[in-house]
Amino acid sequence: MRLELQNISKRFGQKPVLTAVDLELKDNQVMSILGKSGSGKTSLLKIIAGLEDADTGNIFLNETSIISQKPNTRHIVYLFQEALLFPHLNVFDNIAFGLQAQQLKAAEIDKRVKAILKEIDLSAHSSKFPQQLSGGEKQRVAFARAIIVQPQVLLLDEPFGALDVDTRETMQKLFLKLMKAYGIAALFVTHDLKEALLIGDQIAKIDKGYLKTYTSQSEFIQDAQSGVKEEIDFWMQIQQSK
Amino acid sequence: MLRRIVHFFLIAVIFLPVAVLLILSFSEHWIFPDVLPENFHRQTWLRLFSTESELRQSLGLSIVVSLCVAFFSTLMGCILSRAVSTSRYKKYYISLAYLPYILSPVVLGVLWHYFAVVIGLNASFIGVVSAQFLICFPFGFIILSSFWTRHISNYEELSITLGSSEWFRFKKVIFPLAKPVLGLCFFQCFLISWFDYGLTQLIGGGQVKTLTLSVFNFINEANIFLAALASLLLVIPPMTLLFFNKKIILKRTLIH
Repeated sequence: MRLELQNISKRFGQKPVLTAVDLELKDNQVMSILGKSGSGKTSLLKIIAGLEDADTGNIFLNETSIISQKPNTRHIVYLFQEALLFPHLNVFDNIAFGLQAQQLKAAEIDKRVKAILKEIDLSAHSSKFPQQLSGGEKQRVAFARAIIVQPQVLLLDEPFGALDVDTRETMQKLFLKLMKAYGIAALFVTHDLKEALLIGDQIAKIDKGYLKTYTSQSEFIQDAQSGVKEEIDFWMQIQQSK
Repeated sequence: MLRRIVHFFLIAVIFLPVAVLLILSFSEHWIFPDVLPENFHRQTWLRLFSTESELRQSLGLSIVVSLCVAFFSTLMGCILSRAVSTSRYKKYYISLAYLPYILSPVVLGVLWHYFAVVIGLNASFIGVVSAQFLICFPFGFIILSSFWTRHISNYEELSITLGSSEWFRFKKVIFPLAKPVLGLCFFQCFLISWFDYGLTQLIGGGQVKTLTLSVFNFINEANIFLAALASLLLVIPPMTLLFFNKKIILKRTLIH
């Protein structure tokens, strides 16, 4: 799988949201996209998913243009910051949603859902409804629901933003484990520098609609504009003042 | 203790008029200062079950008219509110939907009456349904507009990327999420139509005799026993719907 964006631009009225964005995501890789609120990261993900239209540019998935393809046939799943579990469906049916949409046989759905429930350690919760789960459990179900359909690319829009520190760390580990196990490429949007470095094989930074990609983590760390140096300086100052 | 008294008082206020109507419908003669009627009989109720019962026809007609009005108002309200949900003029459309309520229903009825005569819908079932629809549809639109929030849109977008078709999305996501508000809208529109008198009288021209019209007719004829029975019949369907509607709303509250 190879995702490539060429010269993607988007304006809302007179306001440019994305300007000439180029991006390349390789097979089984996770790219962290670091950006502040309003930097255009959500618009970028929505354009890739097909939920919004780009004004210019093209998107290629395995060398084939998908820009005019319907979002439900792109095999690109978009995960929101909120878990967005369907409140009227239990854990099992929430996870099975995408497989049912593909009209798979009930026995096959049952087998696959049970297997992934085991992996996310929620087998005992399969008949529970979302309101009976904790924040971390909800997010795990949301992951399982996305991964079970075996998407070509997974787009994550600050999925751990609403979680507490401990749950966030657990979720980051689980995310990396599942990505490797299922061999799915992902674009992971975050505003947390540490999280971006921890999660991403590749790193990019988006600011006012301009995207800058880095070839390696060390290139990113050494870049004066990446914010890593300021972060290190901050902690050094704290240490020295004590 | 005070809570119990208030509770008892409220129950009495709601059910006492119904009890009086029930007693009246089984009475032959009930004059002041008698606490209860002299005789009880089933004649009034038996009239309801006779083959040519006008009351039964009115009941049937009322049910059909109100179900049609509630169904089409909910359906059109849902479709139209969805269509304008992403429009930047949404709030203007909602303001526009309040227009029929600025006018008195009678004024609206008189205006609609002219068009009903011109297009031949006057004194017909469809004429009455369309007149009541004019009042109920904007109401349905206003209620259902509140459903299409950013949150619902996120659910939709998520299910699209999970590979769902439009029909699957509607069946598995939108309809179950909208069910409580659709139920509420249907119920409210049914009630507005069920108790409507002015528009039905004006557009129906006395040819479309719904139960509300029958109640007034019996009262005008000073037939209080039949009026009591008709009034009871008038109360039963809304109470049944209220019961189911309450169950749906309670279920929704438990889910969230």
